[in-house]
Amino acid sequence: MKAFGYVSAKDLEHAIALLGEHGAKAKILAGGTDLLVELKHAAHDPEVIVDVSRLRELKDIAVADDGLHIGALVTHSDIMNSPVIRDMFPALVAAAHSIGAMQTRNLGTLGGNLVTCVPSMDSGPALIALDASVTVANAEGQRRMPLAELFVGPRKTSLKPGDLLVDIVIPKDNLGKPAAFEKFGLRKGQALALVNVGASFWVGDNSVFVAPRIALGAVAPTVMRAPKAEAFLDGCKISAEAMAEAGRIAAMEAKPISDFRASADYRRDLVAVLVKRALANAQARATAKEKELVA
Amino acid sequence: MTDVTMIVNGQVRGASVPPETTLLQLLRDNFNLTGAKLGCDVGDCGACTVIVDGQAVNSCLMLAGQADGRQVLTIEGLASRERLHPIQTAFENSGGLQCGFCGPGVLLSAKALLDENLNPSTQEIRDALSGNLCRCTGYTKMIEAVQDAARLLREESRAQLTHARTEATAP
Repeated sequence: MKAFGYVSAKDLEHAIALLGEHGAKAKILAGGTDLLVELKHAAHDPEVIVDVSRLRELKDIAVADDGLHIGALVTHSDIMNSPVIRDMFPALVAAAHSIGAMQTRNLGTLGGNLVTCVPSMDSGPALIALDASVTVANAEGQRRMPLAELFVGPRKTSLKPGDLLVDIVIPKDNLGKPAAFEKFGLRKGQALALVNVGASFWVGDNSVFVAPRIALGAVAPTVMRAPKAEAFLDGCKISAEAMAEAGRIAAMEAKPISDFRASADYRRDLVAVLVKRALANAQARATAKEKELVA
Repeated sequence: MTDVTMIVNGQVRGASVPPETTLLQLLRDNFNLTGAKLGCDVGDCGACTVIVDGQAVNSCLMLAGQADGRQVLTIEGLASRERLHPIQTAFENSGGLQCGFCGPGVLLSAKALLDENLNPSTQEIRDALSGNLCRCTGYTKMIEAVQDAARLLREESRAQLTHARTEATAP
């Protein structure tokens, strides 16, 4: 690695001050699983690394008035071990578990995964399917925006120098919304997604899809919703046929590329299958929750 | 330069290193602990795995400064002067390693797993070892070794419990 300065932020205020001071010359170090690799490959040449990995206030998982807050520094392992998330959102646990291996999940953070913003990120689809938003802090204060507005393109976010991702918020109305995450990679362990999918919906009266969400990863420059598939499902009777049809529609909406991992056609086929599976798993989740409530 | 102080294998160690030094470089080049290996250097192979504050991590993906004030366990700290750690005994008995390059990382991943779970399923063992690549032994013997180590550790903790109870009831 090329030489750089290093400063470890003591708390959020200190981190914001450091980022304000160094601006575009700084790179933020959280879990380091992406940043250190990029630094070794000389993808960046920062003057200073602002290490935020010790900020305790960014490591909480808590339900507040406006929803579930997951601190940006919560690691993938933390998500897998969180009783709150395991209970409310097994889809997020599945997504976290599918990232890297134990060692990288112990280091890598949710915020880091989102901010690195690779098209195949595994944290994105389930969160987008749950209408998550993010809190960003800088010297001027804090602002909240939909997670989808964070993603601009491959490895490109809307964050400006001086900005720090603080937390990820799943809105109150979606707490416990049945959701699922599906991923297909070339191996079971340590593989990037060829396609990954997040899906969620409420089961309405007369067993119809309500507020269906389908989010697709690795088939567009950033995580994308499948609005036509969602519109098809909205109000439609829940059935395996409807799920399969939503998968076919989503496959047409996806904009995959061909690369050394898979062809665009193969990825489209995967979208159809994974959307169907994700919807079926979300339904299984809804049924399991209902039984829990009855019991 | 970055000043770091940490507890490595139970001993306080300190150094002053350039900020871009990884924990792996610090351990190998400054502390002369060469058990953790430099393999891929990008967090894929797991040869550099060490345990920091109880969690297995890739030491090639941590800056030395990030380990300041923390507890680090490397393969050199696993055995005591008197005996091998049960995980090491189990790997020796099962022939779980051939060339041994991946060994320190594999054993520490296994330790991190067994510290949390003394009765892991095969799937849980596979999951815990999925970040450690081996290019010669293969994984079957390793999984057997971890199962065997779990058994040894369970027996040990039972024996300790019995011993403690005897002590407690002794006049």
